[in-house]
This record gives sequence, C-alpha cells and structure tokens, in this order.
Amino acid sequence: MQDQNYHRIPERSVHYERFMSVMEKIRSSLGVILENNKSRVGFALLIGIVVFSIVGIFYTPYQPDAYLFARGLPPNSVNILGTTGYGQDVFSQLLGGAAPTLMIAFSVGVFGTLISVFVGLLSGFASKRVNEAINAIISIFLVVPGVLLIMLFGTYFLGIHESLGYLPTIIILVITGWAFGARTFRSITLSIAKRDYILSSLLIGESRMSIIFRQIMRAIMPVVVSNFFFTSMYGAMGLTFVEYLGVGNVEQVNWGTMLYWAINNEAYLTGQWWWILPPSIMISMLMFSFILLNFGLDEMANPSLRVYSRKKRIVKND
Amino acid sequence: MNFLLPRMMPGNPAVVVYNEILKAGGSGINPSYLHQLEVEYGISNAPIYDQYFQYLWNLFHGNLGISIAFYPEPVSSILAEALPWTLFLVISSITISFFIGNRLGRYAGVNRNTYRDLAIDIFAMFMASFPAFVLAFIVLDIFSVYGHIFPLGGAYGLDVTMGFNVPFLISVMYHAFLPILTIILTSLGGWVLGMRNNIIPNLNSDFINFSENLGFKDYQIKSIAYKNALLPNMTGFAMSIGLSVSGVIIEESIFSYPGVGLYMITAIDSLDYPLMQGIFLMVVIAVLVGNLVVDILYGFLDPRIRQEGE
Repeated sequence: MQDQNYHRIPERSVHYERFMSVMEKIRSSLGVILENNKSRVGFALLIGIVVFSIVGIFYTPYQPDAYLFARGLPPNSVNILGTTGYGQDVFSQLLGGAAPTLMIAFSVGVFGTLISVFVGLLSGFASKRVNEAINAIISIFLVVPGVLLIMLFGTYFLGIHESLGYLPTIIILVITGWAFGARTFRSITLSIAKRDYILSSLLIGESRMSIIFRQIMRAIMPVVVSNFFFTSMYGAMGLTFVEYLGVGNVEQVNWGTMLYWAINNEAYLTGQWWWILPPSIMISMLMFSFILLNFGLDEMANPSLRVYSRKKRIVKND
Repeated sequence: MNFLLPRMMPGNPAVVVYNEILKAGGSGINPSYLHQLEVEYGISNAPIYDQYFQYLWNLFHGNLGISIAFYPEPVSSILAEALPWTLFLVISSITISFFIGNRLGRYAGVNRNTYRDLAIDIFAMFMASFPAFVLAFIVLDIFSVYGHIFPLGGAYGLDVTMGFNVPFLISVMYHAFLPILTIILTSLGGWVLGMRNNIIPNLNSDFINFSENLGFKDYQIKSIAYKNALLPNMTGFAMSIGLSVSGVIIEESIFSYPGVGLYMITAIDSLDYPLMQGIFLMVVIAVLVGNLVVDILYGFLDPRIRQEGE
C-alpha cells in the first residue's frame, strides 16, 4: 500500500501541477490580505455579503418583485423584515437584490482599475509631451464632480431609452471613477521607472513589455488590489446615487432601487423603518468592508504607514 | 464637454417637450410648433463650429438659455438665486469638517496603536461608508419628524424679513443646522483618515527625531508634525469642494433647501437640459476656482513649491 501511494505521486498530470501552482498563488495573495487586522475584518464582512448574494441568486423566500402580501406590514413570522408599501417581501428583495448590487460594484472596480492601471503604466513610459497630456486629462476627470456627471449622463440616457439598464450604469460609473486610481498609478509608475534596477534591465536588453508586466506590475500589485476595493466602493456608492435619483431602471430589484422606492414613498415619514433601514445597513456594510480592505492593504503596501512604537529617548541627559 | 454632450445625444429638449405635449393630447400641435420650440430653446442645425462660437458668445454674455421646468425664467437668474445658499452650505460645512477632522486625525495619529486611535478610526470609516442621503434621512427623522426640534425644510422662517437683521440671521442658522451637520458627518471620515495616514510617517521621520534630540517639548514636536501633515490635506480641500457640491445636491433635495441641488433634482425629473447644463457648468467653474485658490495658497504654505518655480 505504501509503495503504491509512493509511486502515484510522479503520475500527477501537468494540469494538476499547474492547478496547484495557481491555487498556491491565490493562497499566498489571500495570506497578504489576512496579514492585517483591518483587512481581515473587511474580508470577513465581504465574504459574508458575497455568500448572502449567492444564496440570493438561487433562493429567495418569495419572489422579490411580486406583490404578494398586505401593504406595509411590520416584521412578523411570515415576512421576517416586513413588507414594502406595495406588498413585496423586504427580506426577499434584500436577498435577491444583493447579487446585482455586488455585480455592479465589482465590475466598476475591475474596469475602473484596469483603465487606471493602463493609463498609469502608459504615462510611466510615454514621452514627456504625452505624459503631460495624460496628466491634464486625469486632472480634468478628477476635478469634474462625478456625481453631477452621473446625473447629466443619466438624464440623457433617460431621455433616449426611458430607463437605464445595468450596462449604462456601469459605463457611467467607470467613466467618472477611473481618474483617482490613474493618478495614484501614474505617480507610482513614474517613481519606479526611474529606479536603478529598471534602468539596468533596460540596458541588459529586456523588452519594455516584459519590464512593464514582470517588474512594474509586480511592484504595484498591492496598490492595484487596494485600488480595486476603492473603486468598487465608488461603484456601490455611485449605484445608490444613480438609483436614488431615479435615473436608473427603477423596476430592477437591487439595494439602490429598494432605497429609491422606500424614500419616494416617504417611508421615513410614515415610520416604516423596516423598509428603509435594511438596504441602507447592507450598503453601509458593503462600503465598510471595502474601506477596511482598502486601508488595510494600503498599510501593507506603504511601510511608512505601519504603526510601530516610538524609540525610547535614551540620550536625554547625556 | 458641456457643449458637446447635449449635441452628441440624439433628441433635444424641444423634441422632448413636443412629445410631452403630444402625449398629453395637446391641441394645435404640428411640426411647425416643433420648429418654434427649437427657435425658442436656441437649437439650430448650423455647422458645429458655428454653434460652438454661438455658444461661447452666449456664455460670455451670461446667457445660459431658458429653463424648461421654470419657463420662461432664464437659467442664469435661477442660478443667481440659488447659488448663495449652496455656497453658504458648502463653505461652512467643509471648513468646519476640515478643522474637526484634522484635529481628530492628529489625535488618532499621535495616540496610534491605542484603543482611542482604533475607536476614532472605526468611527471615521463607518461614517465614510454611510451613503450621504441615508444619513440625511435618519437625521431628518430623528430631529424634525419625531423630535420637532428643527424645521423640515426651507432656508429661513416665513416670519422674518430678508436682509441683514438679527432674527433673519438666526433663522438662517437654525434652518441650516441639520444640512450642515449631515455634510460634516459624512465628510469627516476622509479628513480623519487622511490626517492620520499623513502624520504617522511624519512622526517617524528624521527631522522629528532631530528636533526631539534638540530637546523640543512634546507639544511642539506634535505641532511641527501636524503642520507638515496638513499640506497634503490642503490639496484634498480643493477637491472636496467639488465632491461636497455633489453631496450637497442630494442633501438640499432632502431638506428642501432652496439651493442649486433642489433645482437640479427638479431639472432631472422634468428633463430640463438647459438648467442642468447651467448647473453643471457653474459647479465645474466653482470647483476650478476653488482649486486655483488652494493652489495659490499652497504656494504660500509650502516653500518647496515656490523654489521649484524659480
């Protein structure tokens, strides 16, 4: 038995090896996230919300957008979180609306980060004139208030389609949200590109693509991850803004539209707290987890932020 | 951008209004009326560069077009009416939150690795993660709907006359308290965290060690580090003007405060493109001016920048 087991090891396929190495990479990068207390808490929260949303895709107690119950019931044994002013089950809506909300937040995070990494890396290796042009574009997008731009875009879309689907929402949020990260990556890339080891690998004859992807990408990776969470937070925040203003498609069920309907029916004036509080708490929790992850990773990427106790003053009365 | 966006999008305000009237079953509607509307709203089919010069010419004369929702009032007069209230809200709340936030951040940074630091951090992060309008609703609910302590909306009471007299000013303060409070609470977190992250590297830096060895007192050292850490936050100050203008829009609509935000919401609801563009343009100009002022101030505060220019 022992021998057979021993002989089985070399038989593992190449695919298995590759799979294991990928898993190892994921494990080690997760290990980075779990090094810091802040990001640990944030990660736990985020995992909780993701599990919540995955459950929401496959199972909700009732159909989220069906009018099945009496209007405005407070929490009871049938409807755990009560019903809306239209007779929908609040808990089902919360569960079913989680996945679209997360989907938008993450896709804004992914695309926004991709654009800002691209722009940042480009400016690190571009000529001086192109670099200045990039900088000007970045600062224009930084200065223009994103939420106003969302309103403007959203209303134009409203004028054409009568309603805004998820895709235009994501596009708007990416357009207004990439600049902050781009500025960060630009300054980091510029400082890294000047360092000696990059110069020496240029002199050795390493290709630029290889330098960008193998050396600079590796150096800015923690910041990329941290920026991903920041942009995702912007996505979640922007979604609630878009939906709250009624610029998006208010027929879809997500946490933003839940707030829209609750607020438009003046749930806060009529004392229906079970309609307005659950989505706002969930959104706050999501953002809280993103902020925690962002700051936790920042602390790890930037050693000067690491908190250590100050040296004792020895040479006081020398 | 302000010029191109409306022209890139298919459809124009005149068509929107025309369709609205058609839907409502208006009588005497025919394509010539559409043409009349287009003339009224200043929409032409001239070549794009002609339109652009026309647009600049109008801008130069303070002509931003005519509002659709508040027809026939011109956009510029609406803005002139609403802008002072918004500026009042934005400037007072940002200044207050800037000072409180930086002080809190300094306290957290100086006492880092303690429970006080942790408490301030968590409070700041939680505040920053709350959507502004949700907080506004909660505050409105507690203090106005149930508490009856503060008014539900408006900028001043109906029983006072406008002008520089004491009852009017008191009434303005009283009505502005809740909006300002919410903006302060939502924008506080950024300052606290920024300050904390700036002051910690400063406290560990060489010049602090040096001044420590020179025998400076503790509070002197802290204030030196604070001054240095304040500089990056100053640039944030300019950017936050733009951000909080957006925040203010939401809050004004909730507290029905007669600023730019309230008009913006109305403009969105009624697809009032001229008014929206006017507001957008004005906010962008305000933000640019704010940035410029802070940049100039920054030159005074930071000697390194002045030297670079020479």
